[in-house]
Amino acid sequence: MNNIYMPHLAEIKEVIDESPDTRTFRLKFKDSDTAERFDFKAGQFAEYSAFGDGESTFCIASSPTRKDFLECSFKVYGKVTQALHRLNKGDTIGIRGPYGNWFPLDELKGKNLLFIAGGIGIAPVRCVIDNVLDMRNEFKDLTIICGARSVSDLIYKQEIKEWKARTDIKTIITVDPGGENASWDGEVGFVPAVIEKTAPPSDNTAVILCGPPVMIKFTMPVLTKLGFKDEDVYTTLENRMKCGLGKCGRCNIGNVYVCKDGPVFTYAQIKRLPQEF
Amino acid sequence: MNFKMDEKIISKEDLLKICQDVIAKGHTLLTPGMNEYFPVKDISQINLNSSALPAKTSYKSYVFPRSEPVLYYKRSKDDVQLIDVNVDGKNIIILGAKPCDTNSISIMRHLFNWDYSDEFFNLREKHFIIIGLMCSHYDEYCFCTSVGSSPVSDKGSDIFLIPLDENNFALRIITEKGKEFIEPYAEYLKPGDETRSKQVTENVKLPEVVFDSKEVYEWLGENFESPKWEGIGNLCLSCAQCAFVCPVCHCFDIVDEDYSYSEGRRMKNWDGCQFGNFTLHASGHNPRDIQSKRYRQRVNHKFRYYVDKFGEILCTGCGRCSRGCPVSIDIKEIVSNCKESV
Repeated sequence: MNNIYMPHLAEIKEVIDESPDTRTFRLKFKDSDTAERFDFKAGQFAEYSAFGDGESTFCIASSPTRKDFLECSFKVYGKVTQALHRLNKGDTIGIRGPYGNWFPLDELKGKNLLFIAGGIGIAPVRCVIDNVLDMRNEFKDLTIICGARSVSDLIYKQEIKEWKARTDIKTIITVDPGGENASWDGEVGFVPAVIEKTAPPSDNTAVILCGPPVMIKFTMPVLTKLGFKDEDVYTTLENRMKCGLGKCGRCNIGNVYVCKDGPVFTYAQIKRLPQEF
Repeated sequence: MNFKMDEKIISKEDLLKICQDVIAKGHTLLTPGMNEYFPVKDISQINLNSSALPAKTSYKSYVFPRSEPVLYYKRSKDDVQLIDVNVDGKNIIILGAKPCDTNSISIMRHLFNWDYSDEFFNLREKHFIIIGLMCSHYDEYCFCTSVGSSPVSDKGSDIFLIPLDENNFALRIITEKGKEFIEPYAEYLKPGDETRSKQVTENVKLPEVVFDSKEVYEWLGENFESPKWEGIGNLCLSCAQCAFVCPVCHCFDIVDEDYSYSEGRRMKNWDGCQFGNFTLHASGHNPRDIQSKRYRQRVNHKFRYYVDKFGEILCTGCGRCSRGCPVSIDIKEIVSNCKESV
């Protein structure tokens, strides 16, 4: 019987403490066939199991072009993320997926890309950034604007360092006012304000935007003011999910199932949905 | 293939003989009682009464159990082992299913099979043989005729029975599955024709059509923010009784149950969209944080979203949700009065 609820087992190869409450797992499927076959696209998500505590939904944070491992990043919030946080290198977790749709990178070829990420929202964006960097010639100018509450809340410090070191990508990092420390050399200010100051021209540019709802709420008017069109702004919705398969009934917004019709939507699509997310 | 109108006559006595044989062969035979469809142990328990109200619950739990393991796990210090489960493919014969229940499986089939096939549902459904029984009684909660069905509808039945008199039924073979089931019992079937059964079905009093589902669909599309939802939300207790007795509600939860540190199982359990924590995020954010939004979801899901996705209303008009509601919320009244001002 094909059991759609059966996860694949994966070993935690590495644990990276990104911030006091956020961790990244570098994972490898135990079964080599699965490791070989597991294919996904930037923006898709998976269900991760901590056996005994259940499953939790996060995006796949590593790029599909880097096939040696799979990474996920999660913030400790609920029961399952607490249980995952208790696991160590060498422990086993479950993975079901990949599920959902993805960022349409093929359609975005030849464009400038503006990546905007806030907090843990950088995880899905990082997957796209790394994916794009591995096919750098296909895209024009790249800009990353990334914000965190404070310097210690800033995750992916290693990746950010690598992006900053490249000359073919403009990387702007900001922390909320009051979140800076003495050695901080980045921007200080909320993401929307920093966008207004530093965003590239909207012409032939697509935006990939992920972050907390409050950030998105204040970012959209700024993007509109700068001339970005709603259909050129891609974001993800993160409704609560259990099955990831369009069956359990909790992630829907109107007749849209976030787990199958999403999680990637353009802002134009989101505007047409009932405001229930 | 459809074998509609292949109509026979069978006596009650012979029908019970078939039941006896089915039980003797070790199949499960379900029949409706007051509260639920129950497995028949002795044919004296069978009461083929077309004028009974629907049992308080449908046979949904036999195809989509309230709680079922989807996997078992064993944990040691260094490893996890997963053990798959298999669904028991035993034949289940449902005798005397109400037309408002026979519809239910085909409605849910869409959901359990779009893109990903839920074999837990499919394998059980495959082994169902549904013998529907015409319904000749309705109460103030019944509204099957408003959702496109009727007490004499054989939709969803493999075999359909129409009582001709106290001792005889017209037996219509509807599907290939029904034909295969009844073939070994051909000796009990007498030739019949539609004349007598039609006389019976034409005389059945139908519940009045109280709303036009297309109008309800339209109204829902335009009234997401209607003040009506707040009124209903204030009444509703969020107990989700309505979802649990519904023959087609299918929302579920997935949770792990530890037996001990080293062993446990992952369960798929019924859940309900009326519960406050159904959509609650770990962060505390809740898209459907108040009851009015949750009731709006319920009505929209049944009469609009499901229609958009799968072309069918997620409701059979059985009235169980309203019959059992502790605060007398009647979904039929809500949708039939939707256009009236608050």
